[in-house]
Amino acid sequence: MASAQTNIDPSSNAVNAPNPASSLLISLGSLPQEAFDATLANLALAFPNDTVLVATPDAAPQLSSGGPLRLIPYTPTSVSATPWVLTAADYLNAYKLAQENNAATCLLLGAECQSLHPEAIRALAKSALTSDLAVAHYHLGPREGLANSAILYPVTRALFGTRPRFPLALDLGLSLRMAGRLAAVAQRFTATSQDDSFLWPLAEAATANFTIAEVEVIPRTLPQPNARDLNSLLALIAGSFFSDIDTKASFWQRARGTQPAPSLPQTVSVTEPPDIAPMLEAFRLAYSNLHEIWSLVLPPNSLLGLKKLSILQPENFRMPDNLWARIVYDFILAYRLRTINRGHLLGALTPLYLAWVASHLTLISTGTAPEKHIQDLALAFEADKPYLVSRWRWPDRFNP
Amino acid sequence: MWQQVEQALRQSAQQVLYKLASFLPALIALLLALVVMTAIGMGLAALLRRSLTAAKFDERLARNSSATISDWSPAHSPTALLARVVFWGCVAIGCFIGISAFDAAFPGESQISLFVLPYLTHSIGAVLLLIAGTLIARFLERSVLIGAVNAKLQYARFLSLGIKWLVLVLTAAMVLDHLQIGGAVVELAFGILFGGIVLTLALAVGLGSRDIVSRSLERSADLRSNLDPIPGDPDYKASTTSEPLRHF
Repeated sequence: MASAQTNIDPSSNAVNAPNPASSLLISLGSLPQEAFDATLANLALAFPNDTVLVATPDAAPQLSSGGPLRLIPYTPTSVSATPWVLTAADYLNAYKLAQENNAATCLLLGAECQSLHPEAIRALAKSALTSDLAVAHYHLGPREGLANSAILYPVTRALFGTRPRFPLALDLGLSLRMAGRLAAVAQRFTATSQDDSFLWPLAEAATANFTIAEVEVIPRTLPQPNARDLNSLLALIAGSFFSDIDTKASFWQRARGTQPAPSLPQTVSVTEPPDIAPMLEAFRLAYSNLHEIWSLVLPPNSLLGLKKLSILQPENFRMPDNLWARIVYDFILAYRLRTINRGHLLGALTPLYLAWVASHLTLISTGTAPEKHIQDLALAFEADKPYLVSRWRWPDRFNP
Repeated sequence: MWQQVEQALRQSAQQVLYKLASFLPALIALLLALVVMTAIGMGLAALLRRSLTAAKFDERLARNSSATISDWSPAHSPTALLARVVFWGCVAIGCFIGISAFDAAFPGESQISLFVLPYLTHSIGAVLLLIAGTLIARFLERSVLIGAVNAKLQYARFLSLGIKWLVLVLTAAMVLDHLQIGGAVVELAFGILFGGIVLTLALAVGLGSRDIVSRSLERSADLRSNLDPIPGDPDYKASTTSEPLRHF
């Protein structure tokens, strides 16, 4: 999505004067012309009887005065390095525009939003009217969104007690107060020229005790990161996520109870068995080389579990859910305590994550529904939360 | 004759006792300066630590920059690092003051500080060099090890150890040169060791990568056969699974 702090283009005011009657603002990112036209067509279908403000960084075409859409062009100050995810600048920009145009709610639609159906957009907007945060729920294939399934979703659910499946969703509906809260957080990043920083809306909403809703958004083409490799991407996302957890420690240590598990279609995977050999090779190579670094972060029990894992045959390769939960929690703790350099820490997580992916793919190839495994994993994270809380409070005293 | 021996012994004993008696105040002055400055350093460090903690210095620094000074000393927060720098700075100043006081209090004609102070300065510089070199060696060793493992290089450990010892040898040579110990011998030994490690690494990496390079050349010549996919090759992942994995 278009990112970076924006300057409102004063020249556009004459053409696109604020409309007090509009209560919904839709913030779009930079889109190719065809995608932009398709998105506008979808928005017109989604809101045939309402006047909707559409903020876009692209050159706005002249729309017919009788149409439901009113375009608000703005000028981004820089091009985002991570257009496949919403960044701090996007949140700040959306809030500014919503405030200036007296919008009560705003939708943030991420890259490739032309693939969104009008019904989904309408549902998201409707949900944003009744709750502070409406998060999109995507239906992905068994081999998609693996980092989200392995780390982001189960940790967010366990720590913040939130239900939505995609903490880093691309499409969001925000009430004005939620947008304001996110903009305040975003301001801290943009003030230091970190426009591409990630924000974690679910955690923010949970911390502020705002209402959260989840909206099915089907179908949706999800943009993929550009040519960056898995190591740097995982470090980027996990680093931001761990840092956010560190910031909100006072909240999640007190948070009790969890949301009920969503009733999701638990389709059995019928895909051919995956080739997990490269991932296993990466894990075994890491086990023989990074053992010393892992031993600074992980307790002996986890190391023993990894040792057992390293000698398993590919067809039996299965990482227990509680082992993975413990590993992630220990990495979060090490991130907080700076046990080792944070860049090194996140780099050392990659082979373990690949081992989890290999285990997950092996499991679903045996007929287990992918979503069932993810929900079981989330339960394991919830069950192990007291360990994280105890070690967070007393890192030296509590060491199993 | 015995009288002369007795007289010589008495005179030398008197001289030693006299020098000891004049040396003691100078020593006490040195120790006192060191103790006082250490105490001041402790106080300043505690004050700095408290004020920086109150100002949430660590959090601000972590938020404002992706690579902070804590990256070089990960076990300690930037606040702790700054407090330590202040403490050891005070101790070093205490050393300088103590030696000057020693020099002033010592009635001898020899200007001890003229010789000791520059050497002490060099020693502190050498210690700082050693600490920095060790930190950098450890940091680079881990960086190379993790990077090489994630790039699936089989000789990752060997490579990281090579880098570590390169930096350590360089550090040792710089420290000895700074202390002016060894002279040309150190330079010669350093050249041999450094060159040897670089040559060993080059040979190891070159020999270890021989298969990969030859396979890449074969592929580029469109001579694809039933070879295993090559790590690092652009189509490495695509060729391993019919349906690609999407992590994000």
